[in-house]
Amino acid sequence: MTRTMLLAGAALSGLAFVSTTSPILAQTPPDQLVIALNMSSMRGLDPQELNQFEAAEVVANLYDRLVTLPADDITQVEPMLATEWDVSEDGRTFTFTLREGVTFHSGNPLTARDAEYSLRRLVKMGLAPARDLTQWGLTADNVDQMIRAEDDTTLIVELPEVWNSQLVLYSLASFSASIVDSELVEENARDGDYGTSFLQTSDAGSGPYTLRTWRANDILIAEAFDDYWDGAPAMRRVLMRNVPESSSQRLQIQAGDIDIATRLSSSDLQALAANEDVTIQTTPGVGFYYIALNQQNEILANPQVREAFRYLVDYEGLSNTVMQYYGDVQQTIVPQGMPGALPDERPYSLDPDRARELIAEAGYPDGFSLTYYATPVTPEYEIAQSIQANAAEAGITLNLQSGDHIGAFRSRDYELFSARTGDRMPDPHAVFASYAVNPDNSQEANSSGLMAWRAAWDVPLEMQNLVEEAAHELDADRRAEIYTELNRMYLESSPPLITSFQRTDARAIRAEVQGYQGSTTWITSWDEVTKSEN
Amino acid sequence: MTAVPSTSARRTRAGFSILRRGGASIGVVVTTLLGLLVLTFVVGRMVPADPVIAIIGDQADQAAYDRVYSDLGLDQPLWRQFASYVGDVVTLDFGESNLTRNAVSTDLARVFPATVELASAALIIGTLLGVPLGVAAAVRRDSWVDHLARVVGLVGYSTPIFWLGMMVLLVFYAKLGWVPSGGRVGIYYEGLIEGPTGFLTLDAILARDWETARSALYHLMTPALILGYANTAYISRMSRSFMLEQLQQEYILTAQAKGASRQSVVWRHAFGNMRVQLLTVIALAYCGLLDGTVLIETVFGWPGLGQYLTTALFFADMNAVLGAVLLIGLISIAINLLCDIAYRMLDPRTK
Repeated sequence: MTRTMLLAGAALSGLAFVSTTSPILAQTPPDQLVIALNMSSMRGLDPQELNQFEAAEVVANLYDRLVTLPADDITQVEPMLATEWDVSEDGRTFTFTLREGVTFHSGNPLTARDAEYSLRRLVKMGLAPARDLTQWGLTADNVDQMIRAEDDTTLIVELPEVWNSQLVLYSLASFSASIVDSELVEENARDGDYGTSFLQTSDAGSGPYTLRTWRANDILIAEAFDDYWDGAPAMRRVLMRNVPESSSQRLQIQAGDIDIATRLSSSDLQALAANEDVTIQTTPGVGFYYIALNQQNEILANPQVREAFRYLVDYEGLSNTVMQYYGDVQQTIVPQGMPGALPDERPYSLDPDRARELIAEAGYPDGFSLTYYATPVTPEYEIAQSIQANAAEAGITLNLQSGDHIGAFRSRDYELFSARTGDRMPDPHAVFASYAVNPDNSQEANSSGLMAWRAAWDVPLEMQNLVEEAAHELDADRRAEIYTELNRMYLESSPPLITSFQRTDARAIRAEVQGYQGSTTWITSWDEVTKSEN
Repeated sequence: MTAVPSTSARRTRAGFSILRRGGASIGVVVTTLLGLLVLTFVVGRMVPADPVIAIIGDQADQAAYDRVYSDLGLDQPLWRQFASYVGDVVTLDFGESNLTRNAVSTDLARVFPATVELASAALIIGTLLGVPLGVAAAVRRDSWVDHLARVVGLVGYSTPIFWLGMMVLLVFYAKLGWVPSGGRVGIYYEGLIEGPTGFLTLDAILARDWETARSALYHLMTPALILGYANTAYISRMSRSFMLEQLQQEYILTAQAKGASRQSVVWRHAFGNMRVQLLTVIALAYCGLLDGTVLIETVFGWPGLGQYLTTALFFADMNAVLGAVLLIGLISIAINLLCDIAYRMLDPRTK
């Protein structure tokens, strides 16, 4: 027994020794930025392969692009590697003049050849982000003629058709259009893989930060690139650490051990909002919380039934609780702040009685019963539960089944499904091209990338043509007009893809951190971050 | 009457028997591992998570989907996928993780030592506290020590480790600032020490980097104490009942009658006889720690095997899941074999 006590005593004094002598930093160093995140979905760092929010932020700081969109005005295309550009009169040919004297982290000079290589690489690899360029008609077959370096500082991007040039520039500002060090990538390519197995875990960029360490699901360390063409950034190091637990992140930001906490739970965000050392930043996203009603189902194909569902969402209740930091009420289809947006158009509110009337008029006075798929994550599941409860009041039985049903949604094998989307192009086109375009609604078409096809929605031809027209339109005012018209048309069509909230992404940031501005287009920059002394 | 076999014949027979036994154990090991693989593989394919969606994202179009689908070999029939996987495993190639983009063996070499470090520290704490506590409780039955052991056991058994971890962080990290928040080492010491053993504390000591060593030890302490506490509860409970059982044996009376001291009766006679049972319990506890640290790894952001396996499962990263399961299987078998060997050394009856 004395032995037990001795051992316990020894253990305790050991703990006391280590804890009292270890330095506890109440604050992170003034030249280092510490970001906590759940790294589990952060896969490789190949800019032309990844399609993921957190990895895109890293890539946006390791690489440069021809042009960029500042986080505070995402519609303003600004020079980056290209100092200027010129669009031909017919709108089909873009000529970029590249900055001279830029070097990659490897020391190789950056020329138009690298830009040519990178953009061709994006198209030829044909992976998820390739759509940024292939949607403008570039293909693996034509890209070698269409994208070409004239000399070391001139890059030509030619398109088979005329598209609104702003849209094309937005695409070139995407992380996927990052310019990679062609020499370094080619040196590390294996059996025609375009060097992707190398790039997934390495850095071949020219951006303000270089990749020092990356251990998946553990830690990522980036260091300032001293020879950056725009001057070395203020933060010497940026450290990203995997902290999967929201409540652990909350404790750490309160204690000042981290500067930025991400993907926090609603309750942790609410608790942090009261802390004056921390600010909550919400960044609007190009995406929605939606409910999809499969039009292959006879009941759901009825427009009155579709409209009834709009009265089953508790817009106000949700936005005061679980959605406070996750989204803003949005019943139209053009994201706020974009051409054609209708910020005051909110005709619907929670009204189960009205929904009951509508389904009775549709021929279902006794209601009906359907299966409802939802992903068991916050806040998607809370929304689904709320809709289920409201539907019950209107006489609709929804059998809510939680799980990973994305596959079923993509193959149209469901009745009701709800989730959220996240696009990155700061233009209504990104939304319409998926929600309101479906050229062939047959099962064989298998256009599983289109939201409209997934809902089996035969989109009125008039709408589809307008979407096409707007994307080709060169005049900005006329485009805004078309989008306003489309926005109304979508709302009035009782669409089977019902939007309830526009998504926002919330971060908690220590008050001493300045210049960290979450980007709607996923290219959040660390270049401007500073810390105030206090 | 049969002839007495010659010494050399006996030796040969003994040699055969060892060979046979060795062969049988290898057979058992291979069958177990193969069974484990088949089961994991089949269950893994039935999990509704789609590895392709996990890679390309929900919005990607069908062309990109098909491309990745065939890149992953998912268009092959299931038996062929399995056969080619087993073929690779035989050559010690566990494939690439879809999630981390590293070879699974590289990942395992990184995450497994982290778990071993944590589990070993917890086991040492659990054993050093649990065994004496259990023995003392048995020897002084119904005294305050016994009550203390009971309370420790009850609380240790019934407190969810996840909750305990959160509470410790809340009180000792957030309020008092005595312990660090998580990770294996202070974030500013990250990346300074790499290898050779993968046990960060040990590596830092070997490299004579005392600052990093202290930080690593400091980070190891809290999760190890929490896990160690849960194990103290288990080990002390078992030690107590083993000791009670021994103390009721006749040989104890004999020893006491012969005038052996109380100290000697408890530690030499009784404890000597419960060693084998205790070893089994400790080995079981260690196996449990190696694959059961996932919750504490999540709370403390500890980049170990448990976290690796769970993340891989969520994203249907089958190569990683299979590799990790195989490793856990191998380790369990190895610990059992080591136990067998230790029995033979400790228990005279098995000789």
